Amino acid sequence: MPPCAASAQAASDMDYSRKDLADALAAEYVTGTLRGGARRRFESLLPAHSALREATLAWSERLMPLTAALVPVEPSGDVWRRISDRLDRRKSVVAGAWERLSFWRGLTAFASVAAIGLAVLLANPSAVAPPVVVVLAATGAAASGVAGAPIVASISGDGTTLVARPIAPVALRADRSLELWAVPAQGAPRSLGVLPGGSGVVALRGKVLAGADTLAVTIEPAGGSPTGAPTGPIVYAGKFTL
Amino acid sequence: MLRSPTDWTERSHDLSRLLARAGVGDRAAFATLYERTSSHLLAVVLRINRDRAQAEDILQEVYVNVWRAASSFDAAQSQPLTWLTSIARNRAIDSLRRLQTQPQMRAAAPASEGRDREDDDVYDTVADESPGPLDLLSRAAEARSLAACMEQLSPSQRQSVALAFFQGLSHAEVATQMRQPLGTVKSWVRRSLATLKSCLDAAVRGERASGQ
Repeated sequence: MPPCAASAQAASDMDYSRKDLADALAAEYVTGTLRGGARRRFESLLPAHSALREATLAWSERLMPLTAALVPVEPSGDVWRRISDRLDRRKSVVAGAWERLSFWRGLTAFASVAAIGLAVLLANPSAVAPPVVVVLAATGAAASGVAGAPIVASISGDGTTLVARPIAPVALRADRSLELWAVPAQGAPRSLGVLPGGSGVVALRGKVLAGADTLAVTIEPAGGSPTGAPTGPIVYAGKFTL
Repeated sequence: MLRSPTDWTERSHDLSRLLARAGVGDRAAFATLYERTSSHLLAVVLRINRDRAQAEDILQEVYVNVWRAASSFDAAQSQPLTWLTSIARNRAIDSLRRLQTQPQMRAAAPASEGRDREDDDVYDTVADESPGPLDLLSRAAEARSLAACMEQLSPSQRQSVALAFFQGLSHAEVATQMRQPLGTVKSWVRRSLATLKSCLDAAVRGERASGQ
């Protein structure tokens, strides 16, 4: 293994749940002094490490208000036109893609699914492979307080994005979060991120789904598992193959 | 107009609602969100990347991303302006990385002027009429209870943080700009942030305590 790969490996094995380390890295990330490979690595670790996410959010709340002192600069009208054009263009690509998916055509009750798929395909406008749909059935875990209707997850054809949506609203205590996990046949579950209200768009970094055949949702403290491993009951689960 | 961190919090409620609407595909709400926030985000981007055309390209990318990610915005975790500003800053910082991998086209000062090449650094090249990073930091500090926190920093510490945060300079660039060893600058920034953190967190706790 070349030396740089070895050090990258060592860095990714560091214990990011250590609060002081997470805090120091997040401070550098938010200040902007964390650069290059270190910055990209930090971003790729965010979805799975709640300690890093919390520290980053806290540093952002501390430092971003400093920008309130900046004198606003009005963008030229052209910028909004370009944004608007891009959203229009993507919308039509999306509409075509969804029409080809007969699976969805029958499910007219899923009006909101179009919006979900929109987000997936906006993220991947050139994706040609259809998304993989995973139905996560409620496990009925005792006293979980969540509804019996499943959560539907859609993994983009290129495997980079997952969108989850509950079929019925999920009632959850304010101090709890739902966290989504990829569960491999062997080894520890890997966190894919928290799902506010049971829904969310998740960027799938690297090979996070490699070897996984099940998606599971657990109830965790607000913001996600503090340890990086599931701590609460599994309330939804579904099998899939990519 | 957004001129103080007080507005920051006060405007959050409206912006949260607009983001939530945008998250379910409401283009009109998204347009309003753009109207209310784009001049702030462009100012943020321009501090880091001074090229106006590039800054507007970055702004375009930022809002396309915001539209895409609006449904994942969680008002319980983050203030909308903080979220939006973070996205804009990250994009701007990433644009510097790309810029560095491209050949630089900057005219060298003619030798006949006899200027010390050391003085003709990046900062001078981009300097303009707008307030410097230190002015901004003190202005932001005035608007907050931050002033006391800032006083705990040495002038060098203050400048190092201002250059890194507002101008998006790396440690190495701050070191060049301040003509100090890299290690010194790194420890200034690190200690400044640690001081600001404990001071700001104490101030927030104080505000909460007095508000209850």
